[in-house]
Amino acid sequence: MSGAAQGTNNSLSKHKDATTQDSKDTPQAPQKAVAQLEEDDEFEDFPVEDWAKEDEVGQQAGNTHLWEESWDDDDTSDDFAVQLKEQMKSVEGKR
Amino acid sequence: MAAQETMWHDFIDAHKVADGYLLATIITPDPPASDPARLYNFQRWTNPYSVQTDLRYKLQYNPEMRLDKKEASTWLEIFSDYYKFVGVLLAAEEANNVGKAKEADWNAVYEGWKDVVSALHRGYSSGTLEAWTIPCLYVAGKYLRIFAIKADESTATQRDSGLVFGGIQEEDALVTVGQNDKLEDAARQINRIFALCLNDRSPLEESRKWALYSTANLLFKTYFRLNSINLCKTVLRSLKAGAADMPPLSAFPRAHQVTFKYYSGVVAFLDEDYATAEQFLESAYAMCLRSAAVNVRLILTYLIPTKMLTSHRLPTQALLKQSPQLERLFTPICFAIRSTDLQAFDQAMEAGEDEFVKRRIYLTLERGRDVILRNLFRRVFIAGGFEPAKEGEAGSQVVRRTRVPVKEFAAALMISGAGVGDGEGGVDGDEVECLVANSIYKNFMKGYIARERGIVVLSKGGAFPGTGV
Repeated sequence: MSGAAQGTNNSLSKHKDATTQDSKDTPQAPQKAVAQLEEDDEFEDFPVEDWAKEDEVGQQAGNTHLWEESWDDDDTSDDFAVQLKEQMKSVEGKR
Repeated sequence: MAAQETMWHDFIDAHKVADGYLLATIITPDPPASDPARLYNFQRWTNPYSVQTDLRYKLQYNPEMRLDKKEASTWLEIFSDYYKFVGVLLAAEEANNVGKAKEADWNAVYEGWKDVVSALHRGYSSGTLEAWTIPCLYVAGKYLRIFAIKADESTATQRDSGLVFGGIQEEDALVTVGQNDKLEDAARQINRIFALCLNDRSPLEESRKWALYSTANLLFKTYFRLNSINLCKTVLRSLKAGAADMPPLSAFPRAHQVTFKYYSGVVAFLDEDYATAEQFLESAYAMCLRSAAVNVRLILTYLIPTKMLTSHRLPTQALLKQSPQLERLFTPICFAIRSTDLQAFDQAMEAGEDEFVKRRIYLTLERGRDVILRNLFRRVFIAGGFEPAKEGEAGSQVVRRTRVPVKEFAAALMISGAGVGDGEGGVDGDEVECLVANSIYKNFMKGYIARERGIVVLSKGGAFPGTGV
């Protein structure tokens, strides 16, 4: 598919000056190097046994909008309808 | 000799006001910041030959010390074991400091501390030590675990460098066996402390039951490290069975509550009991100390995949921005789900695989794929628009088109990179129907496939439950 082809292009076109391909949105290479984990990534002892209510995470100002729906707003559906029609045409065309 | 006196002052003061936390600082292997040389001074205060006599004078014949006979002899035992332990600990630390880390005998340190803990244990089981002293048990368990880990690590390095077993390198036979000897032993010792607290029949206000959650938390931590997570469930069952005779969780210090909720949540999460996991983790998050960044991040590491599964909701940017690790871990996945891009999702799962597996969230995140499919099919449904208004029914509600050709779903899957191609530029229709049927089966979508007509008939009332259409 197109994405896979693009990926190959990226790895081949290392000579930036000589590239002819438009690579405006090249996907970032996965940053494996940074993904190193500290070995003992375990729950730490709290520095104190107890704390006041206002020191709780839940009492923080601005800590209210934490979760949102995964589906998008319906106003983008027109674009999608067009995309869908084109995709269907291209499949039909190949038949 | 005078330098050593602060320790005894603290001991007397702690008894005067029944301050268990102050008492615990006296037998802690980490000297208090106010008295950094305490362990050295204690060691120099006496010698192995006269330690018994010196302690007896301090504890039994000291007019300032108002311990009864039983208490005095219990503390005499504890302090003699503690004296031996301090000697071993200081020797190990010294070896470490002069660059002879290999000679530091952490196994002896562990055994020495274990003796102190046993003496404490006897003090409680005989009913001599009162409940206000239980912070000593927190310290006992905490350092059992710490020294056990050090001992196992040093055994492992010695083994690797051939110091043990005469340099034989039979990897399969030796390396896998007994890697965590001391830590497993520590788990057993901490479990004894747990039983000691659980079986206390004294009235609640003076009960060792106040040490239950802190001890349970230590057990969880230890079992997680040993990869014996199933044993956590035994602890949880004991707590549940004894709940009627225990103070409510909300009466315990927040540190105990939050840690307990975190581990209970993760255990439920790994058990795929996501509703329970969500409850515990959400409550742990809300109550967590806001400056404890690592703990906040760990709670969210499990709460985010849980929420994705239970309510199909994603963290906001603001939530992820709190920690660079969280951002790195979850942003690509969330982006893929939001943009219903299956290909990006697969790439994100692959790129993060090692870290996801390590944190045991891979399988749960995998189910984000179902959410993408749901959102994608939902987009198809919305793009289909509305049924033409029927004549003579002016003013009635407009209805979305509920008969959607399978072909449209197929096209959407192609756009999203679902890998439903038949290899010849067309679409594998069976594969598409399978994905649609799955989505219906999992209750993401309500309707049925009318195969002979090649359409999906969706429910007129809420085709995509919980998403407003």
